[in-house]
Amino acid sequence: MKYIFILKAVLHSISHRKFSVFTSIFAISAAFAFLAAIGCVSFGLAATAVNSSLAFPLVVGPAGASDTTLVMSTLFNTDKPAGTLDYEFAGKLASDERVSAVFPVARSDSYMGVPITGVESAYINEISKGFWDIDPMIDAKDIFGGKNSDCAVIGAKAAMRYDLSVWDTFFGSHGTVSDEDAHVHDFKYKVCAILKPLNGPEDFAIFTSLKSVWEIHGHGHHHHHHEDAEDEEHDHGHHEAEHEEHEHHHEAEHEEHGHHEAEHEEHGHHHEHEHADAEEHASEGKITAVLVKTKNPVFTAALEREYSENGFTSATDTGRTVRKLMSYMNKAEEAAGFFSYGTLFLVMILVFVTILTSINERKREMALMRTLGIGKLPVSLMIFLEMFFISVSGIVIGTVGGHLLLAFFKPALDFELGINLEPFFFTGIEIRGMLYTIITGVLLSLAAMGKIYKMNLVDEIAKE
Amino acid sequence: MASFEKISIKNLTKSFSDTNGKRNLIFEKVSFELHSGAVLRLSGASGSGKTTFMNVMSGLIQPDSGSVLFGNIDITNLSEGKKDRFRAENIGYIFQTFNLLSPFSVIENVYAPLAFAGKLSKDYKENALESLKKVEMDEFAAKMPYHLSVGQKQRVAVARVLFADPPLIFADEPTASLDRKSSELVKNTLLELNKKGTTLVLTSHDSIFDDIRPDVDFNLETGVLS
Repeated sequence: MKYIFILKAVLHSISHRKFSVFTSIFAISAAFAFLAAIGCVSFGLAATAVNSSLAFPLVVGPAGASDTTLVMSTLFNTDKPAGTLDYEFAGKLASDERVSAVFPVARSDSYMGVPITGVESAYINEISKGFWDIDPMIDAKDIFGGKNSDCAVIGAKAAMRYDLSVWDTFFGSHGTVSDEDAHVHDFKYKVCAILKPLNGPEDFAIFTSLKSVWEIHGHGHHHHHHEDAEDEEHDHGHHEAEHEEHEHHHEAEHEEHGHHEAEHEEHGHHHEHEHADAEEHASEGKITAVLVKTKNPVFTAALEREYSENGFTSATDTGRTVRKLMSYMNKAEEAAGFFSYGTLFLVMILVFVTILTSINERKREMALMRTLGIGKLPVSLMIFLEMFFISVSGIVIGTVGGHLLLAFFKPALDFELGINLEPFFFTGIEIRGMLYTIITGVLLSLAAMGKIYKMNLVDEIAKE
Repeated sequence: MASFEKISIKNLTKSFSDTNGKRNLIFEKVSFELHSGAVLRLSGASGSGKTTFMNVMSGLIQPDSGSVLFGNIDITNLSEGKKDRFRAENIGYIFQTFNLLSPFSVIENVYAPLAFAGKLSKDYKENALESLKKVEMDEFAAKMPYHLSVGQKQRVAVARVLFADPPLIFADEPTASLDRKSSELVKNTLLELNKKGTTLVLTSHDSIFDDIRPDVDFNLETGVLS
């Protein structure tokens, strides 16, 4: 009965300070939702990075490419390649007895911001865990074989995001769609297969054949995409859904764009662009990097050394570079966590101050309790529970709400961040946050209890 | 009702220091005895120390020296926790204002002190309702204190005393803010309890209590004990 009365008193006090209690709980919740986001995004990044680094232990690219550029431009598709290599180099590398397989890659354009990479069928066989959908006329083991050089294999999340399905066609853009100077290549890709999710950057990528990349960049199949009313009609960014009628329309447009191209050539734009292509994209017979599977880690180290020191290429041990990137990520996570903990601490101090204010407001009531024989312990326990209730509510609402929000926004976050978010994964940063908040809450509650113990409540009654 | 044969006040002295550090004597070496069922009237002007004397008697304030014995129990020597329990079990209070605890309903206010002391009987709800009936407040049992007028709150405080049936009641200006009808009800209830053997410590400027003949009259303004 005593504890029911104490709880009633706590709830009464909370209901009479709705605004300050709501603000306090909201502030703590927001900090915990932020901690949940930091934890889950960091974990998603790390898991994605680990998944990717396990597949190809060595990346070899052109001379001058940094370790990070090599990894980011190949496995993560987020950085621009540093230059090109001859395709024949991949064959030379494959003949090294320490190498078990090589996968030449040629970074090409993008479609709606999704990177398009030229690869061989073997690469698709290597990374694939099966297909969600595949053109029945295509040999799944040699997807780019025969006359299928215009084939595009779409990562699971890219397909979902842009509603791409088998037999759809689309045109790639040079740069991203948001670039004002973006232009569209008149090479039409045909979706041949949709990969099953791999929980890696491949889910957000589009793969095509090396041949198609060479064809685009070797023959200058492109024209500028102006952001004016006229060009709105020629927006190749949108895929065509398999409507024949629509395709004809595009073909007609491409002819029109021939005029644009002539004009650009006149003004020297085209020439500049060709030069840029040579820097960032693979032209005829060129690739941007080779992903290498070695027979054992000792060979990985030896090959990395050899191909970094020969003056023609750069090489990096993927595992080591990813670990290095992750250690930077961990530092960022720690810094974000530190600021969140700091915010939480300030919020707790704020809660403490509002509780102290409420103690002053309730002095007379507490004095009456004491006079009626209700001891110091139950009276101060009420204050302790009040602070505890606010802290725990903030933690629970923030953590549950934060994870639910992450789950709700997962599709968008996955795509924007290029990771596989685990919305219900609890990380150390959150658990530490909970512990710190509870410890701070308990210490501040004890301080509030101490204030009541020291308070001369009888003076309040005497004031009557 | 628990009981003690007599209350012995022995050489009770209390003073306060003001902001300049000057010692103000409130009362000095006061000694008297109250037998069970007696009436102690505390008189004197406002600020003369009537409430302070009550607080020292009930153990809320520690005296500078002296003792307050309830039977053999010296309340000045009890621990804080034991004093709390002693008050909950043996002393009933009726103040001029601010008698009720706002988190609890009217009926909960009646039994809250004994609930905290863990001394509730099995049929405590019926008894609490019965006490409220005696002061014509049973209809308000489920209401919260903020719904009540000052007079109604005072009657609930009386019901609380009736419910706890303590051997000692402190009534500090119990009718100061009440209308005639409510004042009569409070006075009659207190006298009824006193007749049953409850010791009454009363401070009041209300003429309604003039016909009560106290066993001990202590004027804190003059220090005269009669």
